[in-house]
Amino acid sequence: MSFDEQMRDALKTFVIESLELLQDMEDGLLGLEIDPEPSERINAIFRAAHTIKGSAGLFGLDHIVAFTHVVESVLDTLRDGKLNVSPELVAALLPCCDHMIELIQGVSDGHADANSSLSAAARQLLDGLESFLNPEPKQAMTAVQDTSERLESSGGGIVDSGNWHLFIQFGENCLRDGMDPLSFIRYLATLGEIVSLTTFSHAMPDADSMDPETSYLGFEIVLNSDADKATIESVFDFVREGSYIHILPLENRIPYYVELIESLGEENAQLGELLLKSGVITQRELQEGLNAQQAQIPQPSARIGEILVDQQVVQQPLVNAALEKQQQIKDNKARENQSIRVDAERLDKLIDLIGELVISSAAASLRGMQSADVVLQEANASVISLVEEVRDSALQLRMVPIGTTFNRFQRVVRDISKELGKDIKLVIGGADTEVDKSVVEKIGDPLMHLVRNAMDHGIERAEQRLENGKPAQGTLSLNAYHSSGNIVIEVSDDGGGLNRDKILAKAIERGLVQAGAALSDQEIFALIFEPGFSTADQISNLSGRGVGMDVVKRNIAELRGVIDIDSVPGRGTTLKIQLPLTLAIIDGFLAGVGDASYVIPLDRVVECVELPVDDHRDYMELRGEVLPFIRLRQLFRKTGPTAKRQNVIVVEHLGFKAGLVVDRLLGELQTVIKPLGKLFSHVQGVGGSTILGSGEVALIIDVPTLIRQQEHNPFPG
Amino acid sequence: MPSLTIKDELTIYNAAEQKINLLVFLTAGDDLEINLANVTEIDTAGLQLLILIKREAAHLGKNLRFVMHSKAVLDVLELANLTGAFGDQVVLTQN
Amino acid sequence: MAKTILVVDDAASVRQVVGIALKGAGYDVIEACDGKDGLSKLNGQKIHLIISDVNMPNMDGITFVKELKQLPAYKFTPVIMLTTESQEGKKQEGQAAGAKAWVVKPFQPAQMLAAVSKLILP
Repeated sequence: MSFDEQMRDALKTFVIESLELLQDMEDGLLGLEIDPEPSERINAIFRAAHTIKGSAGLFGLDHIVAFTHVVESVLDTLRDGKLNVSPELVAALLPCCDHMIELIQGVSDGHADANSSLSAAARQLLDGLESFLNPEPKQAMTAVQDTSERLESSGGGIVDSGNWHLFIQFGENCLRDGMDPLSFIRYLATLGEIVSLTTFSHAMPDADSMDPETSYLGFEIVLNSDADKATIESVFDFVREGSYIHILPLENRIPYYVELIESLGEENAQLGELLLKSGVITQRELQEGLNAQQAQIPQPSARIGEILVDQQVVQQPLVNAALEKQQQIKDNKARENQSIRVDAERLDKLIDLIGELVISSAAASLRGMQSADVVLQEANASVISLVEEVRDSALQLRMVPIGTTFNRFQRVVRDISKELGKDIKLVIGGADTEVDKSVVEKIGDPLMHLVRNAMDHGIERAEQRLENGKPAQGTLSLNAYHSSGNIVIEVSDDGGGLNRDKILAKAIERGLVQAGAALSDQEIFALIFEPGFSTADQISNLSGRGVGMDVVKRNIAELRGVIDIDSVPGRGTTLKIQLPLTLAIIDGFLAGVGDASYVIPLDRVVECVELPVDDHRDYMELRGEVLPFIRLRQLFRKTGPTAKRQNVIVVEHLGFKAGLVVDRLLGELQTVIKPLGKLFSHVQGVGGSTILGSGEVALIIDVPTLIRQQEHNPFPG
Repeated sequence: MPSLTIKDELTIYNAAEQKINLLVFLTAGDDLEINLANVTEIDTAGLQLLILIKREAAHLGKNLRFVMHSKAVLDVLELANLTGAFGDQVVLTQN
Repeated sequence: MAKTILVVDDAASVRQVVGIALKGAGYDVIEACDGKDGLSKLNGQKIHLIISDVNMPNMDGITFVKELKQLPAYKFTPVIMLTTESQEGKKQEGQAAGAKAWVVKPFQPAQMLAAVSKLILP
């Protein structure tokens, strides 16, 4: 008899058996109300439904399983005494019984694979039963669904996975329970290929204390299988209790899973879900991990990732990958939710208008002060404070982190390293430092040049580095930070440093300095920014593009910044670019001269002293040093009454000090720089303007320019 | 040379008796041979006994060899990857 | 030598289908219609595995396993219980009695074969 014939035969048995059972069930139901001791009767009725359901499942008759399941649930409730026998119940169950007979007859008529979903009539009957089951029917239905889902997934995993590493120490009672470890391993081999297996017997004690019925063996197995982790795990379902079973992706498969995790969709950012979806952990392992997390006393403290690694269900690198993915998802979500792209030009226009608004509202406020209208004054005050807030937030709009600019250099450094045949890594610091967008746009080219220069000329070849006791891999750092109203960008290398003598010799040869001139290191290093200066022994592909350091210096000067150089022979070179935060808020020191106010950037201010007696000299003695004066009154040709006692603000740039003579010291303030228009670009000594709270415009003093002028012409007129 | 032929299966069902048999046999001499030809059935409990007796013999400085492995025994040793570790000459027999 | 499996279930159709599947895979099958029948079918012969339903007339599966485990010849015989999702309690009871393996009803013949082959080979 063929298999099909046998099954047809079995199906006949099922039909006969079921019809018998249903007849019993009907008889039982009819006699239920008059039976004084109905429990045995109820049991029989329940068993009939139960048996039909179980058998129907064997033949894949899902519609019968689904229908009978609800009937069985009602009978189960009745059997447990949670439901009483009533005429209504019997009246509801009898038509169900009839319907089941119809279903079974349908099977015998050859509709075995009829529509597996429930018919409308069936639904109506089941709805009638629901009132007896409340609130359980919904759960009951999902239980059926769960079963069918599991059936589908047992057919094979969705995730295509590779090699697995299994560690199994079977529970010591498993032999006594009739579970033979080797048998499970044989079954495991049917899921794939056992690449290697090691049997451990060290847990077995010596002959005297060894219990022949206790299981002692442990196994380490490498399995090559397309099965997913849950399938492999399910092999050991019957022996899980008391056993130590760990299934991990093989070390060499970790990169595969890391990639898989990275490529996952972004719907769910839960760490456990990410690991589960990639197939490196199973639902059960996740649940156990979560349970362990919940069980922590006094409160859950360890992260789920740590717990999973701890329980050896997954390796750390995979948790790390999932954490990264999680962060990425969060970042993307955050960006999606919080970012909109705006045309920079529109933003500039807005900020410009707000600048005008500040001035206008200050003017309106002044007018208000002059009138005696208190209500108007109050209204103005609140307008001003709101406008200030608007201004501050508008300025923030232009600020972007410099990290994006820095990160572009990862690629550049890699490419140039290859080109030069050097091994150089890029270290980025201060990526979060916010810079005005216009700065970011313009700093790219100078930075590129400095980076190339440092890699080409700064960092030595690997052999030479090793000879000098340095690691073979060179390091190039890009760093950014804020320093009182400036942004500082540093390009450092750990190369050979600048050769002071060589630079000097070259400079003398080129006639940039006179032989025998006494120059500080600082001054000598600064010579490399002179036009046409190059010390490279050989012109490589990178240099020799006609762009020298002088161009870099000019670019930075255009941004109203300065570049300093610091170098230690054998240790490396650092180029420090200081840029103003154009349109940024800076800390300043406010001083008055005549009826005008001036802002001096606070980082330039050393101290303030009183002008002892104004004898119209152009210097004073400050602690044994000569301090030249710059009289702002003269400089800006201010008229108006001079204060009785004038003050000196001592400022410094590159080690040079000067005293700014002013009438009044008005204290520190935070203020916004508004660049001067093109019309005033020739004005020396003024870095910009700002609008004070009073609506008055104050000029911002450009200390470096003033001091440089002072150097060239120390004692004017 | 003392030789022991295991007549029955080597499974959890008789592991307790077989343990005693094997340990008693271990005292029979210094050069021992266990014939496994009639072991029609062997499970993890049986494998544990083979490992135990081999280990015990080594402890006592005795020479113990398994010979005439039945197909069931060979299958289990193969599965546990212990054929080599036991170091006995394995003769493949038709079965 | 084929291994012998005792199938205990009150539903003839279940015994029949399980029997077809197991015989097809190379096992010998003995059938019993309830716990009492199961015990009487043992006859002291070597049984490698027992598959038993829980809910049966005369003697239920739990009682059957308890009695079985008292018999020295069968105390190590593995038992697969046929449980249902709603019978988590019965599953625990069965495990306590010594039936450490289970198959959840309703099941397909292939699922039964997989469970059996984890425990014994034909």
